[in-house]
Amino acid sequence: MNIDTITKKNTDFLILDTLKFSPFVPKYLIEHHKKYFSDKNLPSPKNEEWQKLNLNRLTQHRFIQGEKLKLNKDVVSMYNISGLYSDIIVFINGWFCPELSRITNLKENLIFGSIKEMRKLYPQIFDEYFNKTNISDKHFFTALNTLYAQDGAFIYIKPNAIIENPIHVYFFTDGEDKKIFSLYRNLIIADKNSQASVLFSYHSLSSDISFTNVVNEIIVRENAYIDFNVFQGEGNESMQISNTAVYQYADSNFISHYYTMCGHLVKNEIDVNLVGDNSNAELNGLYMPDREQQFHNTIFVKHLAKHSFSKQFYRGIIDNNASAFFYGKVLIDKGAIGNEAHQTNNNILLTPYAHAHSKPHLIIYNDDVAASHGSTVGQVDKNALFYMQTRGIGRKKAETLLLSAFAEEVINKIKMIPFKLYIKILTEKRLSGEKIEKQCAKLGICRY
Amino acid sequence: MENTKRQPLLEIHDLHASIEDKEILKGINLIVYPGEVHAIMGPNGSGKSTLSAVLAGKEDYTVTKGKVFFKGKDLLKMKPEERAREGLFLAFQYPVEIPGVSIMTFLKTVMEEIYKHRGMEPMTAAEFLRYLKEKKELVEFDSKLENRAVNAGFSGGEKKKNEILQMAVINPTLAILDETDSGLDIDALKIVANGVNKMKRDDNAFIVITHYQRLLNYIVPDIVHVLYDGRIVKTGTKELALELEEKGYDWIKKELSTL
Repeated sequence: MNIDTITKKNTDFLILDTLKFSPFVPKYLIEHHKKYFSDKNLPSPKNEEWQKLNLNRLTQHRFIQGEKLKLNKDVVSMYNISGLYSDIIVFINGWFCPELSRITNLKENLIFGSIKEMRKLYPQIFDEYFNKTNISDKHFFTALNTLYAQDGAFIYIKPNAIIENPIHVYFFTDGEDKKIFSLYRNLIIADKNSQASVLFSYHSLSSDISFTNVVNEIIVRENAYIDFNVFQGEGNESMQISNTAVYQYADSNFISHYYTMCGHLVKNEIDVNLVGDNSNAELNGLYMPDREQQFHNTIFVKHLAKHSFSKQFYRGIIDNNASAFFYGKVLIDKGAIGNEAHQTNNNILLTPYAHAHSKPHLIIYNDDVAASHGSTVGQVDKNALFYMQTRGIGRKKAETLLLSAFAEEVINKIKMIPFKLYIKILTEKRLSGEKIEKQCAKLGICRY
Repeated sequence: MENTKRQPLLEIHDLHASIEDKEILKGINLIVYPGEVHAIMGPNGSGKSTLSAVLAGKEDYTVTKGKVFFKGKDLLKMKPEERAREGLFLAFQYPVEIPGVSIMTFLKTVMEEIYKHRGMEPMTAAEFLRYLKEKKELVEFDSKLENRAVNAGFSGGEKKKNEILQMAVINPTLAILDETDSGLDIDALKIVANGVNKMKRDDNAFIVITHYQRLLNYIVPDIVHVLYDGRIVKTGTKELALELEEKGYDWIKKELSTL
């Protein structure tokens, strides 16, 4: 039921005329959402999950669909992660660049490519898992994505396959002086007993204002394992709203690492459904908003079965006038006995103008549970700083040391070693105030 | 015989300091020469910790009057790190935890800063490990602790040993030990005292701040001062410490009230 009566169309910020309906989303879903989409409102700031997020930043603009640009291999290699030998596919502005793919697995254990193409080649797999999580119905942005998703990554790991090489998807944005939006619908399926590591990295090739809307569905079948890494390094004028829905079967393992390092406004939602018994979910994240950036992370883990384990570990370092919001929800369902759910969110504010808001929320319908949560928002420990100064370490260096140690506890959770090193180096540079590049885009990270 | 005039390492002249408008130090006078071990004893609330905090440069305290010279330089004008680099070291009574920073990393960074300040090339990794090994043996420091975060989950004894280890690594000119003996059993106390004694030279000095006389059996002072209500009220030899132990701090209170 829509409480707000808004006569002006909510989608005014998107020039939908430049878009066609999604070429791969099933017709029945498109019809379903077409009917209701015009009635759907943008999430209201009264909604506890959308508090403190200034959506005006997004809606004040007019975005058009981006063009499929010809990307040079050299440009892509500038964003290589040293030491990472992965299979890759590349997207720009919502479009797949098949000529830039590098896939060695040759379909033996892994089906990896554009979801638009894979739907045609593997319709049974697609139909079995697409929208299994019902993410499309969640809210305005997931419905929008369902209607207009241009393309996305399709990753299917066959039963019993253990994929050694990481699977890396690049998502580039280049508005060429226009304000563009890109819509990605990604689908990852780890079939029974399979294992794989995935990395999604987002980069801007220009400093244009842009909007990227992502929906990820990740299905982890019985006894399967997915290590999901996300690097958000779009430009200082870029905005991203991403929704990840995870569906876990019995004995499955899911671990995620979200690194939000740049963007004007970034909102990440992760919904984990622990549907099968004995499943594990570990969600880690580090966010470092600077200037006036707003980084929001909302997590909802639903323990729907028995003897499952979930852990949320997110940390943030907030500089200048930036703000961060963490909302961690856990649900322990009625019949869900023997579950364990933990949550930690720590924030360090570097200036008196920085903001952080941390909200834990436990909904427990079954007493047979071990749950803990801890939220902190504070400054760098003055006593620790003084202690270090009395040993001859300058104040700035002491602060950097403490902040590095703070960030490292999350970074050390990354299992993909080259990616861990990449993040460590970037974090060191950010913390030591090193000016990375004048133009945001070059190294995918902003330092001005 | 040539009579060279000795330069004092530390000169405190009429030092007054307050915290939140409450005056704690009410006129401290103290001169420490190289090669000396001074002990400062006093009851709780006398200003012992305030004195060490003010000398180290803690921001919470305001110096309202007086001057302090370290190696002839105005100490109160220097930032805490500058004082440390000049050769002043404070072994804390309650050492703080530094989460996520291992002792190894911490000491390495400290050494880098010191060498940078002295305009010297930093030690190589191998040189540093050798140097650290020497110092660890000096204070019987358990190697298992070096990869743990500084003071994180350390027992009282381990924390104090860590302070002395840092002192050994840094090799300061003037070391202030703020109630280093508090919370230590006799064995730990002996190890700590032994470490300090091994570091005594003609060109450095120590100020041992303590509530109890016991430590002074092991770190024998040249000069003993009694701090009471923010002032040094008595100065003597190590016998003064024994007298204080015997008669208690009430003896000082009585003496002062009869003046």
